[in-house]
Amino acid sequence: MCNLPVRVICRANAEYMSPSGKVPFIHVGNQVVSELGPIVQFVKAKGHSLSDGLDEVQKAEMKAYMELVNNMLLTAELYLQWCDDVTVEEITHPRYGSPYPWPLNRILSYQKQWEVRRKMKAIGWAGKTLEQVLEDVDQCCHALSQRLGTQPYFFNKHPTELDALVFGHLFTILTTQLITDELSEKVKNYSNLTAFCRRIEQQYFEGHDKDSSAIAARSSKRPLLR
Amino acid sequence: MAAPMELFCWAGGWGLPSVDPDCLAVLTYARFTGAPLKVHRVTSPWRSPSGHLPALRTRDEGIISKPQQIITHLRKQKYNADYDLSATQSADTLAFVSLLEEKLLPVLIHTFWVDAKNYVEHTRKWYAETIPFPLNFFLPNAMHKRHLERLQLIWGDDYMEDEEKLEKELYREARECLTLLSQRLGSQKFFFGDSPASLDALVFSRLAPLLKAKLPNGKLQQHLKSLQNLCNYCTSILSLYFPWDGGEPLTGVPRAAGTDGSEAEEDPHKRRKQLLSVLVGLVAMLGYAFLSGIVSIQRGSVGPAGRQPVTLEEEEEEEEE
Repeated sequence: MCNLPVRVICRANAEYMSPSGKVPFIHVGNQVVSELGPIVQFVKAKGHSLSDGLDEVQKAEMKAYMELVNNMLLTAELYLQWCDDVTVEEITHPRYGSPYPWPLNRILSYQKQWEVRRKMKAIGWAGKTLEQVLEDVDQCCHALSQRLGTQPYFFNKHPTELDALVFGHLFTILTTQLITDELSEKVKNYSNLTAFCRRIEQQYFEGHDKDSSAIAARSSKRPLLR
Repeated sequence: MAAPMELFCWAGGWGLPSVDPDCLAVLTYARFTGAPLKVHRVTSPWRSPSGHLPALRTRDEGIISKPQQIITHLRKQKYNADYDLSATQSADTLAFVSLLEEKLLPVLIHTFWVDAKNYVEHTRKWYAETIPFPLNFFLPNAMHKRHLERLQLIWGDDYMEDEEKLEKELYREARECLTLLSQRLGSQKFFFGDSPASLDALVFSRLAPLLKAKLPNGKLQQHLKSLQNLCNYCTSILSLYFPWDGGEPLTGVPRAAGTDGSEAEEDPHKRRKQLLSVLVGLVAMLGYAFLSGIVSIQRGSVGPAGRQPVTLEEEEEEEEE
């Protein structure tokens, strides 16, 4: 969205390479910056920002909605991947452990699962059932859909960090194949959100050659529209 | 109407009706909606029916302990402060609640419970003075450990070990969050116009302890005090909905836990302590008496050991005869 040249590289040990332990991170010159917040700050310090045109109240709302996405969608994704037993067994363990030989693949994925479950307990999500989690996702999508309304982007004509974040999560939810389609169905209930994702995908990803590696990585998933 | 719902929450202090943010949120929401609640201000979680505070004892759904669930239950009972909100405003509520919980609440917990100076000189002192014997010896520490662990899991070990980084980044984000709230509030009376909503209850419950507590290490507090509209917002809610000072409840109809109630709660407390100490003393004396042989029980008859040889002698005399 900022028109910055970027090369996407996929590595199995990306989590270990990152300074904070979390992906994604960018490597620019001799600096390494991880996670969306710091990356946005870093890019802003270099002179590129998407949210300069917003007034104070809008900036407050943008930050609040970004936290909403982080709080609900991200946690729900983690819950589904690591706390729902069926999904864990059939999809997450094989996928997470795939770059490593046995028994390392099992050990690492169990370790990650234990870590995620502890975190869920700390924030109070461990006691939730799958239905409650899906209910929360629905509420979150409802809020996002309300805020988006009929506008092309969340803050009318120009995309901001919020649009990037929402696109990232919704696109992943819509295109990742899981045991059931319940999660993606929740998102598909809101037609303006699916239209939003489609629009961003077409505008920023399909026409660019330099993102071909990213598209190749995604080709293993279902296409956005069926 | 069946018996009113009962709410158990932490006692008041520092000029607030309750010192715990979650309890305060539920109390404020109930006040906003005029829900008839019987409030029990207790000084330890053991006196709550579920072992945790806040706890709501409902008429037919048992005991609810999570603040969000309590508010949802009140809403279901038609005490809904968000009734007049538009769809966009409801969406904004969700978003700002997430902002509060992610950015502000962990730092608040850190300020009160983990920051060494604040914890020792202020928080622990208050809780140790308020919680009754013998819980006051280990409960504050247990709460401190629990909060520390929670922060460790949310933030990762990185931040917990590096004080400077924590201070710089996380406190900065918390200050930013406060500023954002201030900008969103602007010069309005409440976040969504003239009548309070659930977002107001939550914001108030997070900000009020920070504003009112006398923290020795209060950088975040200073930042809050510099945001005049938020300070006015908190004081106006306090004076409108909690006109009596912290800890003193209303004498109105829906509030049955009157001053008499709180005093009566203290009296049996003292009596209970006295009784307990007398009992302990008695048991100790009797135990010693039995163990050292001064007193013993023989075939159902109890008497001092001195009489025993006499009875035996009498029996022997009878047998001899």
